[in-house]
Amino acid sequence: MKKSYIVKRILYSVFIFFVVLTLNFFIPRIGVDDPAERYYPPQGNMSDAEYEIIKELTREQYGFDVSTPRQYLNYLSDLFLEGNMGTSFRSGSPAVTDLIIDRLPWTLVLSVSTLLLGLIVGILIGVVAAMKRGRWQDTMLLNASTIMVALPAFFIALVFSFFLGFEAELFPAYTNPDMVSDFSWSLDSLRMVAYNAALPVISMAFGSIIGYAQGTRNAVIAVTGEDFILTARSKGLKPNAIRYKHTLRNAMLPIVTSLGMSISGLIGGQVVIEQIFNWHGMGTLFLEANNTNDYPLMMGIMLLLSAFTIVAILVTDLIYVLLDPRVTVGEKR
Amino acid sequence: MTDKKLPIQQRMLTFLKKRAIGTGRFFKRIWAHPKGKIGLTVVSLLVIVAVFAPWIAPYDPYDVADRTTKGLTPSLQHPLGTTINTGVDIFSMLIYGTRISLIVGVTAGVCIAFVGAILGVMAGYIGGFADNLIMRTVDVLLVIPSLPLVIVLTNVLGRDYWIIIFIFVALGWGGLSRNIRSLVLVIKNSNYVKAAELAGASRWRIMTKHILPGTSHLLIMSTALGSAGIMVAEAGLSFLGLGDPTRISWGRMLAEAQGGGALLFGHWWWIIAPGIGIFLAVFSFMRIGIVMEEVLNPRMKQSTGIHKIFKTLSGDYINEVFDSMEETEQPTTSERSAAKA
Repeated sequence: MKKSYIVKRILYSVFIFFVVLTLNFFIPRIGVDDPAERYYPPQGNMSDAEYEIIKELTREQYGFDVSTPRQYLNYLSDLFLEGNMGTSFRSGSPAVTDLIIDRLPWTLVLSVSTLLLGLIVGILIGVVAAMKRGRWQDTMLLNASTIMVALPAFFIALVFSFFLGFEAELFPAYTNPDMVSDFSWSLDSLRMVAYNAALPVISMAFGSIIGYAQGTRNAVIAVTGEDFILTARSKGLKPNAIRYKHTLRNAMLPIVTSLGMSISGLIGGQVVIEQIFNWHGMGTLFLEANNTNDYPLMMGIMLLLSAFTIVAILVTDLIYVLLDPRVTVGEKR
Repeated sequence: MTDKKLPIQQRMLTFLKKRAIGTGRFFKRIWAHPKGKIGLTVVSLLVIVAVFAPWIAPYDPYDVADRTTKGLTPSLQHPLGTTINTGVDIFSMLIYGTRISLIVGVTAGVCIAFVGAILGVMAGYIGGFADNLIMRTVDVLLVIPSLPLVIVLTNVLGRDYWIIIFIFVALGWGGLSRNIRSLVLVIKNSNYVKAAELAGASRWRIMTKHILPGTSHLLIMSTALGSAGIMVAEAGLSFLGLGDPTRISWGRMLAEAQGGGALLFGHWWWIIAPGIGIFLAVFSFMRIGIVMEEVLNPRMKQSTGIHKIFKTLSGDYINEVFDSMEETEQPTTSERSAAKA
């Protein structure tokens, strides 16, 4: 039963990926007859004849000279056979894949450290708040959440870059470009990355910490009310054994599932944070692409981010099914 | 059915009277709620500021002639000083910024509630192909990172604020309709819906008269929370310089502060002021949403206030609704897991 569910779930993710892929292909074609017009909008000082020639060249270069279904097939075969997401509109026509690979590690540094910081600190705070339910620890989390939930991460980032970056000069308010250009796997270089990443990570982590803390708190409290905890208690198990072996282990499951969904929001929000600190990541690459109407690059980044989310949701779903004995699968979805 | 004989004007008048009394009572109950006063006060204050902005603001931030010395520090004439790059009164910008936040947030929030409710009820009650189509669309909407997708669509469709509202609505209904569907799947099997079906009520009547009212508490809270979320998203979009280029918004003020040298010159109030605006709007909308939910669904006592916001965001809220329903109507285990899936 479980095996067939897993296969179905994977196939479904592949289906979703194809829908996203198709959307990705068609969005730049919304509202224009000729995609070349979108990729190369008319410039002010250009005569009609000149523009026709340029459009012709654009069509050839980006493969718009065949019918739309044919273009779609070409797009698919390029992507899956060669791993080629198209050619960027930048000078020198670099491949989209190369541009993304250059930025990907830097973006991952930020997202992974934010996620880890949020998870570790958030779960710790949440467990404490749940165990001291109604006491000052819990109230403090409640008050902090009340304020933090209404403060956008980019505002926190701005305030930090002002007070900690410009005024106190504790951390760099803008990323030092040397961090990227002089990078090597040495201790100094890594320390520099950590130094530059501190403010962006901390400002993004606030939201994650509060979110995971609240999630953990609620999950722990919900599990505490379950029958098997009562059973464990009436068996005469020690409170600590119940706490760590029964309560926490089961409370972690909802946290695992919420991880998958939170990754989509994390990726989206990071665009603004990278812009504030001028971080050399995919978010700034995406905004550069948007400002120059570099559609192949924009859609390449969108595709990759969506793929990340799909995989994250799939993995967390599967972990949930494998770990939780109570989940019954095979019912109509 | 005696009122059927009355002339139409008379009937409409009684209907409106009833509605007005009902709305008045609803607001009274919100006011009576321990946390309702602060939310209601701040929301009304924001609405007043937005509507009467030209009378409240000391200067017109859109008027190029109404500009003074650049980079003034706060004084009596300029409570928040002027901008360093253009010399516009920051306090007036703050007041005008309320407009775009509220318009975009509230309009998009209400439209999302409409679309989400219609599609969610259809998916849950009609089922079959409609259900499949709607829920698969939701799955797609939820995996594409929303801010990048909004940016791509504004690039393709344009950046007027009503286009931005349209994009937010088109992308934002997914989570709500999924929750509504879960709730409808349970309500659908309740005795009063079965009785209505046996009595021969039409599908439309059942959906609008019997099922939709049962989801009202979820709907009204989601509208308020959704509006709050969209205000944040709009501020982020404007902050990136991708909002409506012709309107002043809090996000754009923050962007101007960052780009215009507020950081370098130490004009911290220029950054803090729009942030407080965003905070107040988001905070009060969340508050009022929770209070309205508690007024409409007093059965649910498991969690209150801020915990409910996080539970709604993480999807636990719907489980608590099921738990609170169990006291009166018992959804079977298979129904519940089908609803959650």
